[in-house]
Amino acid sequence: MAVLNGRAPRGPSRPGPLRRWYRANRRLALGVAGIFSVLVPWELLVRTRLVKAILTSSPTEVAATFVTEFQRGSLWTDVRATLAVWVVGFVLAAIFGILIGLAAGWFRRASYVANPWLNVLYAAPELAFVPIFILWFGIGFGFKVFIVFLAALFFISINTIAGVHATEERFLAVAHTFGASRLTIFRTIVLPGSVPYIMTGLRQGASRAVVGVVAAEFISSNEGLGFLIILSGQTLNTSRVMVGIVMLAAFGIFTGEVFRRIEQRFEVWRREANT
Amino acid sequence: MAELEARDIEMEYERRDGTRVSALEGVTLAIEKSEFVSIVGPSGCGKTTLLKIVNGLITPTGGTILLQGRPISQNSRDRAMVFQDSSLFPWFSVARNVAYGLECQGVPAKEARRRVQPYLEMVGLAGFEQHYPYELSGGMQQRANLARALVVDPQVLLMDEPFASLDAQTREMMQAELLDIWSQSKKTVLFITHQINEAIYLSDRVVVMSARPGRILADLRIDIPRPRTLAVKRGDAFRAQEDRVWQLIEQQARLTMKATQLRTEGAAG
Repeated sequence: MAVLNGRAPRGPSRPGPLRRWYRANRRLALGVAGIFSVLVPWELLVRTRLVKAILTSSPTEVAATFVTEFQRGSLWTDVRATLAVWVVGFVLAAIFGILIGLAAGWFRRASYVANPWLNVLYAAPELAFVPIFILWFGIGFGFKVFIVFLAALFFISINTIAGVHATEERFLAVAHTFGASRLTIFRTIVLPGSVPYIMTGLRQGASRAVVGVVAAEFISSNEGLGFLIILSGQTLNTSRVMVGIVMLAAFGIFTGEVFRRIEQRFEVWRREANT
Repeated sequence: MAELEARDIEMEYERRDGTRVSALEGVTLAIEKSEFVSIVGPSGCGKTTLLKIVNGLITPTGGTILLQGRPISQNSRDRAMVFQDSSLFPWFSVARNVAYGLECQGVPAKEARRRVQPYLEMVGLAGFEQHYPYELSGGMQQRANLARALVVDPQVLLMDEPFASLDAQTREMMQAELLDIWSQSKKTVLFITHQINEAIYLSDRVVVMSARPGRILADLRIDIPRPRTLAVKRGDAFRAQEDRVWQLIEQQARLTMKATQLRTEGAAG
């Protein structure tokens, strides 16, 4: 560039250390800047009393509340409660979702049986079932788990079905030339081939499950992050509402990232095998 | 008695609008044991269809395929196919891929692994057992493909343009290697390609097929002595053979092009 501009080359130009760091970490730097571009005006608006702290809290208030809640230990009780519901509901949804998906993907008749129910599950919001579930399970763990289970089930099943249907013709041809049995085809081609799709389903299901658990805790619960948020809102403790939101966001980002990484591992051979 | 025989093979398809299209017409072909026969022809002439019929993947609308004088059964253990594109399973290691035919036959994994080893060595993949297909070059993938077919010890090896996706140099090297492996294993080979010089270099006989509907136009014996080095491709005898085949194909290719043109013009008009 320097030569093109007619200037004598002076060797590599030497930007300052800050500039160099910025060049190497632009994504991180701009991401953090993006967050602060909201937090700083928010803080200023509250400090200058342009908006009422009781309505919005403020970043420093939220941070302070986080620390006190953390020290009191009550936050962890709620986190544990939410996590327990999420884990049990999601694991059940994963088991049944994958089994239903494989069966409906593989056997045409099974898909005819399952499809209407999957459509119902997709069309009707899980929360509409709440009164019935409360009748069945009472207000407690079982009812919340069931909401989470239904919230995640559809996405896991539907992606698994897509995975089975995406089985490539060229692989089936190989199996047929070697006289593979249906079971062998399923075990060696259909199942491993649908793993990336199943992972996508689990990722989507996991985030739907978070929505499910919070909604269930909103409706009726005496513990959990959803309960913390709704209770704090009713008592005008905006800072604690924000703490709950931050915890949920952190959890969502964390699980999303975990599943995305697992998916990527499968993407490697998928992409490179096709080139 | 011929090792493999195709008698009056007919293949008709029904289009969506109900009209019938003939893909193969009266294809009759006999291949002797340990013979290497290639089929060349313009694209769309039904070469691959014929190969799939021989393999038992497709049932022809007419005619029979005889293997050692007996009509072929659905079970195709006696014929193994080497596919065009990399059809290795990306989720299995090279060793498991090559053992796939054995796995389908219910051979225990341990024994399969033992039986796979000499073939991996034969195709030069020893040491790559635990690699995954995406870690291999295109040439190596096709070697694994070939090994997978050889492991089940078929009487007939069917090859569907196995080197089509390889670059020119790799392709030449693979041709030489294939001849080497073939002379060791003495398999009967039916090889499909659209490359004339590949067909001539590899084969005892080159069968030329017509444009659709596919018929056999010529069955040429290639009497270039074996073993053949890649240098024979530059000899006069080789060139003369290449010319002969090319003239036959050229005519057919022109017919196909004309038909395509007419169809597109018809569609435009």
